Amino acid sequence: MAPLTPYTYIQCPCSDTSFSPSGAPTSDDKTEPEDDDRTFDPRAPRANYSLYPLEYLLYCEDCHQIRCPRCVNEEIVTYYCPSCLFEVPSSNLKTEGNRCTRSCFQCPICIGPLVVTSLEAPPEPTLLAADNTAQPTGPYVLTCSYCNWSSTEIGIQFDKPNGIYQQLAKMSNGGKPRLTAKEFRERSRKEKEGDPESPSSPLTNSDVDAELQFSQLKAFYQSQLNETNPQAAAGLGSLADLGISSPGSLSRIMSMYTGAGHGASHKQSRGRLPVMREARTLDEGFQEADLDDSALIEKLRASAFEDTASTDQRLAQQPSLPSHHPLLFVDDLRPIPYLLRTKRSKRCPVCRHIISKPESKISNPRFRIRLIAGSYIPTITVRPFHAPESHNVPSGLRPPVPAELWLAPHRASQYVLTFQNPIFEPVKVTLAAPAATPGRFASTVTVLCPQFDISANTDMWDDALKEEGEVQLQLQRRRAGEDGGPAQPEPGKIWERGRNWVSIVVEVVPASLRLDGLPPGPGGEEPDRSPLKEDEDVLEIPMFVRVEWEADTRDDVGSSTTTRDNKEAREKRELAYWCVLGLGRIARG
Amino acid sequence: MSRRPPKGEYIETDTGNKVSRKANLVGTQNIILGGRTVIQPEVMIRGDLTRTAASASSTGGSAPANNTAVAIGRYCFLSRGSLLRPPGRVYKGVFTYMPLRMGDHVFVGHGTIVQAASIGNNVHIGHGVVVGEFVIIKDYVRVLDGAVIPPNMVIPSFSIVGGQPARVVGEVPEGGHETFELRDLYKTVGNNPQPINA
Repeated sequence: MAPLTPYTYIQCPCSDTSFSPSGAPTSDDKTEPEDDDRTFDPRAPRANYSLYPLEYLLYCEDCHQIRCPRCVNEEIVTYYCPSCLFEVPSSNLKTEGNRCTRSCFQCPICIGPLVVTSLEAPPEPTLLAADNTAQPTGPYVLTCSYCNWSSTEIGIQFDKPNGIYQQLAKMSNGGKPRLTAKEFRERSRKEKEGDPESPSSPLTNSDVDAELQFSQLKAFYQSQLNETNPQAAAGLGSLADLGISSPGSLSRIMSMYTGAGHGASHKQSRGRLPVMREARTLDEGFQEADLDDSALIEKLRASAFEDTASTDQRLAQQPSLPSHHPLLFVDDLRPIPYLLRTKRSKRCPVCRHIISKPESKISNPRFRIRLIAGSYIPTITVRPFHAPESHNVPSGLRPPVPAELWLAPHRASQYVLTFQNPIFEPVKVTLAAPAATPGRFASTVTVLCPQFDISANTDMWDDALKEEGEVQLQLQRRRAGEDGGPAQPEPGKIWERGRNWVSIVVEVVPASLRLDGLPPGPGGEEPDRSPLKEDEDVLEIPMFVRVEWEADTRDDVGSSTTTRDNKEAREKRELAYWCVLGLGRIARG
Repeated sequence: MSRRPPKGEYIETDTGNKVSRKANLVGTQNIILGGRTVIQPEVMIRGDLTRTAASASSTGGSAPANNTAVAIGRYCFLSRGSLLRPPGRVYKGVFTYMPLRMGDHVFVGHGTIVQAASIGNNVHIGHGVVVGEFVIIKDYVRVLDGAVIPPNMVIPSFSIVGGQPARVVGEVPEGGHETFELRDLYKTVGNNPQPINA
């Protein structure tokens, strides 16, 4: 089991207000989050979709609200290949698809990156220098340096070391060239003319793969449409860019209404009902279904389990594969061109303001706008009260490897919650937690100091200057505690306080995980004695946090100096949200 | 406090590097530390694996003394038992090592082997990771514990990678950039370490 370090998740207010586990729809508005009657249940199935670590949350300055990855609207800034890091213009995406069309491929076996290598042995270093500097010549293959797969295993070699994507597109597995639609037409024309120069074998089903067949079918029905109804065809012609905004679809819809709406044209179209023929021959894209699977079965019988492709391998493949039968064997797999990645900017779903915007250049990791929740709401960190003091860890072992802490049932244990204030105003924090955690195993929770103030954050420079002194202070305080016996947390008192942080103590009495010890339900019914569910032994405390502070009223850029002078222009702000403190696993026994 | 070696566990340089006396640095003249870098005990850096002479002529303009094997930026943290080893390959018929470059704020976990060609700024490499030869890791990348990054892989910025072989499993969120900062960790190590702030 992976060690569970204490964590804090915060609920985004965008999620539904169905706090009650019964799932009854609630009509409560989000403007009244202080509703005391219901507590947030972190174990409710819906909670999975609303809880985020603080780092994942953004903050809208205009709405004064937390925004999570689920509620923001994303806009793509740039597309790029994650392997060659080249930007792909969005116009290319429409024509070439969402994969890198350079030479970036992933291994079909292990999805590691593939590199182009020359099959020819490197020249002897003892030879003349002029020979050595000569670039190696082909043929080239794609090889995986992780699992040693090479494209020779599927019978594919390349003449040139660059433009692999285009070269691969013209080859099917086994090295046989793939016909393009144009080449196919050429060949079938020659065949019909009885050209003596035509290639040996006549065209068969096996020459036409799925992609070619699609383009043939498309061309055929296109021509059919053109013949029967030239007007409508103009619209359908642009099937490639479907979508209501494209001019093609628009003209199609227009022709539907104008063509069929009026009496005269209505009759006309009735008069000559469009008769469309179905595809009939191979060059029209018609293929007889090959129902004879005996060859496949024979191959399957002769091959070992390792020769068949796994589900993961099949899923990783490009969806439009030049294959005739369902992908079954490892030698049907093809190198996978890298899927493109994006840089995205994020907008607030309510006010449409941009809350995160990266630089459009791929090489630049900076952000132009980055309103993260961490710089507006307090950071909450949890650590066990009686943990081995971190400064006793030998410095050679730092950072300390987190050790799993098991909570003993029925024994009170204390945790220190540290709230760090990121804003430059003092804030007032009010906490509320249910006395017993929701769920079958109700542990009791006591927040020893549910209300406190945190001083304002100060400038980074002050931070650097004061730091030394502060650390000393902190140490002194700790030592003082040690001298006068072990310091005890007291109810209603803050445990520790720093420049912009406050620590308080939370006491929990973990419940026992014994199923026979479960109390009966409220109506005296038999409790649920089903076996322990996944992660049901994790002690999670829902906590409602309310932060209040006074801030300058929203000022425009440039007028900040005037508002600072004007002390009247301060307004009270409030932010309230649920969060979940995960403390650790309860020991069984 | 208890059993501090009389001379101090670490050698602290003028530029703020803290190098453990138990670290194993080979070919120190070819290792460049940017400053404020922590090198813990049992770390090995193979500075002896420099470029072989043949490539010096091909690079042309570079100074003759430039045979850096490992270049490390500021605020890097090399945990106990990690190994930095320049990658090598056959180049124009001759086997040669290529320099390993590392940016600022790079964390390398316990027992991790790094053979990358380049590692950007603000990169966290977990414990027990193998970074293959000629891997390029860009900025703000988190490599999860136990990952094996196959040779020649390129990891773009803001990726979270893990698994064997490693693949991109997630994206670093906008709010997570500050967690890559290693200034605080730097202070907790050395001859008079400060406690880790809560």
